[in-house]
Amino acid sequence: MAGGMADKATQAEAAGGGNIYECDAISLELFPHGQRRLIIDQLSLDVRAGEFLTIVGSSGTGKSTLLRLLGGLMPASSGAIRFRGAAVTGAPSGVVVVFQDYSNALLQWRSVARNVALGIEGKLNRAEIDRRVRQSLQMVGLEKNAKDHPWQLSGGMQQRVQIARALALNPDVMLMDEPFGALDAMTKASLQDEVLQVHARTATSFVFITHDIEEAVYLGDRVVVLAGPPGRIHKIVEIALPRPRDQMRTRQSAEFLNYRAELHAAVLSAGGH
Amino acid sequence: MFRRASFGLPPLRGLLPLLFLLVLWQAIDPKGSPYFPPPSAWWTGLAALARSGRLASALSATLTTFFLAIALACVIGGLAGLLIGRSRGARRALGPLLEFCRGLPPPVMVPVGVLLLGYVEGLKLVIVVLVAVWPILLNTASSTAALSDLLGEVSQTFRLGRFATLRKIVVPSAVPAFLVGVRGAVPLAIIITLLVEMLTSLPGIGSLIVISQRQFHSAEVYGLLVVVGLVGFVINGAFVMIEGMLLSRWPPRAGYVQGT
Amino acid sequence: MRADRINIPGIVTLLLVAAAWEASVRTGLVTFEYLPAPSAIAVAFAGIVRSGELLTNTAHTLRSVLIGWVLAGLIGGALGLIFGLSRFARRWFLASLEVLRPLPAIAFLPVALLLFSFSLTTELVVMIYASIWPMFINTMGGVSDVASRLHDVSLTLKLTRMQTLWKVLLPAAAPAIVVGARLCLGTTLVMAIIAEMIGNPHGLGYAVVSALMSIQPEQMFAYVLFIGVLAIALNYCLIVATRRLLPAYGREAANHV
Repeated sequence: MAGGMADKATQAEAAGGGNIYECDAISLELFPHGQRRLIIDQLSLDVRAGEFLTIVGSSGTGKSTLLRLLGGLMPASSGAIRFRGAAVTGAPSGVVVVFQDYSNALLQWRSVARNVALGIEGKLNRAEIDRRVRQSLQMVGLEKNAKDHPWQLSGGMQQRVQIARALALNPDVMLMDEPFGALDAMTKASLQDEVLQVHARTATSFVFITHDIEEAVYLGDRVVVLAGPPGRIHKIVEIALPRPRDQMRTRQSAEFLNYRAELHAAVLSAGGH
Repeated sequence: MFRRASFGLPPLRGLLPLLFLLVLWQAIDPKGSPYFPPPSAWWTGLAALARSGRLASALSATLTTFFLAIALACVIGGLAGLLIGRSRGARRALGPLLEFCRGLPPPVMVPVGVLLLGYVEGLKLVIVVLVAVWPILLNTASSTAALSDLLGEVSQTFRLGRFATLRKIVVPSAVPAFLVGVRGAVPLAIIITLLVEMLTSLPGIGSLIVISQRQFHSAEVYGLLVVVGLVGFVINGAFVMIEGMLLSRWPPRAGYVQGT
Repeated sequence: MRADRINIPGIVTLLLVAAAWEASVRTGLVTFEYLPAPSAIAVAFAGIVRSGELLTNTAHTLRSVLIGWVLAGLIGGALGLIFGLSRFARRWFLASLEVLRPLPAIAFLPVALLLFSFSLTTELVVMIYASIWPMFINTMGGVSDVASRLHDVSLTLKLTRMQTLWKVLLPAAAPAIVVGARLCLGTTLVMAIIAEMIGNPHGLGYAVVSALMSIQPEQMFAYVLFIGVLAIALNYCLIVATRRLLPAYGREAANHV
């Protein structure tokens, strides 16, 4: 991985790990059928540059909504969200969202390669687009499927296509909304490791939402526990497990089990199950 | 649905009953009765029409109208369907009108068209377009309207902008439903073209059949029935093939919007 | 199909269109020689109601539609059931039917006229022929779909053939059959009107054409609008009936386009 990726890694080091996202007391209210519903209540959160932040919480805590606010897909009702110091109005350049429903988030009529190119076509020249598509597909192990169509692939492979599509932009931040929720355990495990590899090699920051506490501990540098409704931060746990992480060794270590217990208790006391 | 053997037909040996029926008919009644002339008489009658050139001119008149009408209906219905589908305001405001037009039995439009336009040059074309446009428009509109919020978020997160979203996401995702609409419009267009010709005696196969019927040339009537059947079969088959080619990139069974 | 709010924009649009129509005819803005104003249409409508003409014609058409729908439904349904279940039938007969299917039923009208002249028989024969197809195709599709899926179920439960048919097959194929019945009704109405325009001088279809021939635009439009409303009403009744009779299928069966 030459070029852009290495530069970014050195950049992140040079920046000394400042905050890439700052949220000050953001709230979101919606008005379904004319009634006021508070989805997120005065939530403040910083995302450090280069970190892998996971967010857990039961349904109704506003996890997906928070992600969409960070992604600029909807505006906050009050409070400020800053990305690299600038206020977020609309989707910020350098931030990409990966959705849970991979089947409907991909364009079923386009080949895998053309799906991956969606975010960069028209913005770069032909040669660069081809190079990035190839690179992204290699990173997720799908070089051989470039000409297939999404509906011909398994669920896990489709989700990798979505990840490759996001990677093609060389994003600063990947926002992932329960991306592995619909997959079986083995596929999930291998995708977790692929995402960790991407994180190690590119110094992209990750904000990763999940229901699965073990997944949150395995992947994250920090785990945010949300309570709600309305959504608010209940607890933040720093995960000091060594990297690189390993599905067998890490998950069986005493520290991992402690974190798991701690977070389980936290989710319960947040009013979840 | 079933294993397709050739040209989208189920096993060809299933044609035997039909052929058998025709042979039987021919065998039972070689001399011909005025009501049930045998297939050989159909052939003679058709040959006479062909020789006089009337068959060819009628066929060309009908087919020209049909193809032009379908083409126009595709363009108008597709564009209007996209526009209406994209705009929630338009859908609510036009809702009752569209529902009415959807429910109105198409043959009723024929006398309306004749009354308002009179026997002018493009009468047939206008009426058929007016009728054929609805399935296309309605199907395209409902598919466009049902475009998932998720795809909207995808276009947001990749910062696609309005025109790019339209071109890369909205239009392609509406293509399967558009084709389903066209599939409904094709038989409708054939029927209404024939109906207009029968009612107004404008040139075409429809008026040719009616003329033969009024003159009690039953063999010609049966023969023309076969011609119409062949034309319908070929058009249908051609459309299925084209649709298959266009939709090869989509997952199977695309284009059917569940409940509206 | 329950609206959460009354569709005000829709109603307003309708009224605006009617008003614009009225205005443009009165001021001579629109140059269709025979376009009547909505007010004139309303007067004509009152006229045909009072004279009982509307009732007679509607009764004729509705009677044809009902007979045609029931017969086409039964024949089409039976055929669909047979072909859906029997591979033998499909292998040896289906191609013949598939070749006939694209033949527009309207082309049979002149043949029917030759055989039966201007009569109710002509109307019914052509109507039923045309309407059998949607019922047949949909029933066949639904049954064969279900038959392959549920074959193992009935084997496991050791059901007899009749039991399988009644308890498993037909209920599971019901949504597809209902769709077929709806399409069948639509086709029946369309063909009835076509037949009345050309082959049987009675009923609503004939009334429209007759108003055309005698150049009575207001009357024609009155009938046209009435036919539109009637079609919607028939469809609506069918949807409501479906919901009542097959509540388990809810949206899927009732709302399929």
